[in-house]
Amino acid sequence: MTPARTGLTRYTVGLPLLIALLLALSAADFRQPQNLLNFGGQVAALLIASLGQMCVTLVAGIDLSVGAVMSLASGLLVLQSDPVLAVAMALAMGAAVGVVNGLGVAVAGVHPLVMTLSTATFLQGLCHMVLPMPGGQVPPPLVAAANGDAAGVPLSFVWCAAAVVALGALTTRTRFGLHLFAVGSQPRSAYLNGVRVRAVTVTAYVLCSVMASVAGIFLAARVATGDPNLGTSFPLETVAAVALGGVQLTGGVGSVAGVVAGTLSLGLLTNGLNVFGISPFLRGVLTGALLLAAVSVQRRRHVGL
Amino acid sequence: MAEVPMATPERVVLHNVSKSFGPTAALRGVTLTGRAGSIHALTGENGAGKSTLMKLLAGVHEPDDGEIHLRGKAVRLSTPAQARQAGVSTVFQELTVLPNLTVAENLNLGREPGRLGTLDRAAARRRAGEVLARTGVALDPDRLCGDLTVGEQQLLEIAKGLAAEADVFIFDEPTAPLNRAEVDQLEQLLVRLKTEGKLVFYISHRLEEIFRFCDTVTVLKDGRLVGTERIGALTPDRLVTLMVGRELQALFPERPGAAPGEVRLEVRELVATTGSPPVSITLRRGEIVGIAGLEGQGQRELVRALAGAGQPAGGTVRVTGDDGVVSPMDTRHGTVGAVRQGVALIPEDRKAEGLCLDLPIQDNIWLGPLRGLALWRRARRDPVVIRQLGERMKLRSRPVDAVGSLSGGNQQKVMFGRWLAAGVRVLLVEQPTRGVDVGAKAEIYTLLRQFTEDGGVVLAVSGDLPELIGLCDRILVLRGGAIVADVPGAGATEEGLLALALRDPSGVSA
Repeated sequence: MTPARTGLTRYTVGLPLLIALLLALSAADFRQPQNLLNFGGQVAALLIASLGQMCVTLVAGIDLSVGAVMSLASGLLVLQSDPVLAVAMALAMGAAVGVVNGLGVAVAGVHPLVMTLSTATFLQGLCHMVLPMPGGQVPPPLVAAANGDAAGVPLSFVWCAAAVVALGALTTRTRFGLHLFAVGSQPRSAYLNGVRVRAVTVTAYVLCSVMASVAGIFLAARVATGDPNLGTSFPLETVAAVALGGVQLTGGVGSVAGVVAGTLSLGLLTNGLNVFGISPFLRGVLTGALLLAAVSVQRRRHVGL
Repeated sequence: MAEVPMATPERVVLHNVSKSFGPTAALRGVTLTGRAGSIHALTGENGAGKSTLMKLLAGVHEPDDGEIHLRGKAVRLSTPAQARQAGVSTVFQELTVLPNLTVAENLNLGREPGRLGTLDRAAARRRAGEVLARTGVALDPDRLCGDLTVGEQQLLEIAKGLAAEADVFIFDEPTAPLNRAEVDQLEQLLVRLKTEGKLVFYISHRLEEIFRFCDTVTVLKDGRLVGTERIGALTPDRLVTLMVGRELQALFPERPGAAPGEVRLEVRELVATTGSPPVSITLRRGEIVGIAGLEGQGQRELVRALAGAGQPAGGTVRVTGDDGVVSPMDTRHGTVGAVRQGVALIPEDRKAEGLCLDLPIQDNIWLGPLRGLALWRRARRDPVVIRQLGERMKLRSRPVDAVGSLSGGNQQKVMFGRWLAAGVRVLLVEQPTRGVDVGAKAEIYTLLRQFTEDGGVVLAVSGDLPELIGLCDRILVLRGGAIVADVPGAGATEEGLLALALRDPSGVSA
């Protein structure tokens, strides 16, 4: 992987380190093991969903339906008492949404914003029909899988690590990963070189929705209950995390490491506001400002376009 | 005639293929046979259908009519991936190198080594190294392609085409950005392919190359087959006659006898982009001045700077109006300011930069004259103006037809009509007849000449040398951003202009 393709700069990597350092120095509560554990749990869902969002961003798309997919996944989870069946249903739903989004964008030529906003609205409505109010009971084995620990390591860390390793391998060690970059940079050139542009694009959207569904399962399992508004803030937050991580929203540049860094920045910010007891509304203000900052420093400077 | 090439098997047969894009017929019933172990040239004027014909074989387009036979079997090639699997490797005219991939990744794109969808990067690098060594292209496999020059990217394209496991190779004008040594190198590679029994299709309009290493040549004109001949049975003159097949002079309006009038546009020491040499040009009323040169010698930057679409780093431009008032051009106001002073651009890519394809002809034309109008003023649109313009330009469509449905020639006329209606006096035209069929070409030349006879000035950039020679009063030759020659159009020759465009003071041909 060449540095110019990863989008990693000293800012993308330095920002989370800087925030962590400032928090560690200024807030004693931040250093508490319990807080760090909480932090891990808080960012896990965002990280998983953001890794999915990255796949779509790499092919110059955007997926605004991740939040609705997460909410609906939590709704499906409390409907079903068999944990395996519950997870299978949620994942299948994610895959189906991804196929619809992907076909809409790659085959029908609908703009990704319009396409995924439509599915998001549709799914959110569906979610409220399935689960009008927060409630229900997530199958206990899933709750344990999200909150427990194995040999002292919290399972949320394990899930994060698994997602990072899987997506890392996918983007750097597979043909599909390379083709994501090729399609995102210049779809026509990629096509002329024998890359199956449509298939790659559809797969990217499927990956994104499946990851969103996993994130929804994880988040619902953590609180052990379903919530029709579980993922409402996630479309914006995943895009912000991806952009902060140096993934170019115009496609073709980005990396898993960058997304991890971007997610940590956002997560640390939230955590820091909690620790200092600052209004959670300010979090929205800061996320918006950070997203704007991240996007404005993105020029096509890395790639000679 | 019953010599060796006739004995080799027919590897590719395109039988009676036709292809249209919207209302424009690009190919009409063309039949082409390519034999194993030969280098088969395809030639013809710009827009003759050479590239389209090869794109049928490359899987980019599917024929509307007709059949493709590969090694004796009828095949359907719907995507470039399919064509490649069928053993057809193509180097397209457009660069398809991806800037965010490395040299090695680009070379292996679409056929990466590795099992079960994984990427064997070591094998990919090794393969890339072999290909680069074999083709004599000295590039580091790990370099990011966004950092390569256009020439290096072209070499990479060629290496990529050669790397494929294929027995049919297509090269679409591969030598345009290459220097002499690189062309020689390419020739050796092509000859090697031929001796290995492969079929090479070579699109070019450089006669010298065709006669040097091709065996057979097929000439296309306006989407029709003119003929296929063995090179041995041809002379360059005969080939040119086949390509042109008409009196060149008949295309162009006569040059005016009178000397050009007073100065209309004066360019002094204009630095089109930072670092480019200063350029001075004087355009007089009634003149059509051409700009010749190899691709990318600063033509685009110069014209764009004059049109207000660039950011010149220095120099002055003065425009003289019809009333004789000389005013310095204000480049800060961009194209709006330029048009206000009667200077307008007809861009090369008229679909992306000139026309609103979904809007009707009349609205596209009104964009010009209504420019100066304040936004809250009622935009009066007199249908008579459009009708008269349409008659003058021989536009055979209704004013309400969408511009996107028109042929290239009619689109160009609409662009022209926009500025005629706006009362522009200086027209900067990039590639005046690119993608325009022959009949409409003559009409556009006549329109340009009429425009200058009415006191206007035309500055035309073109890659088509016969066009410049036939149309222009004077031809400026650009090399490395500087004007290296100013020759009268009457009496100029292609060879002479090319020599001026190529010659490098250091003695190495550019």
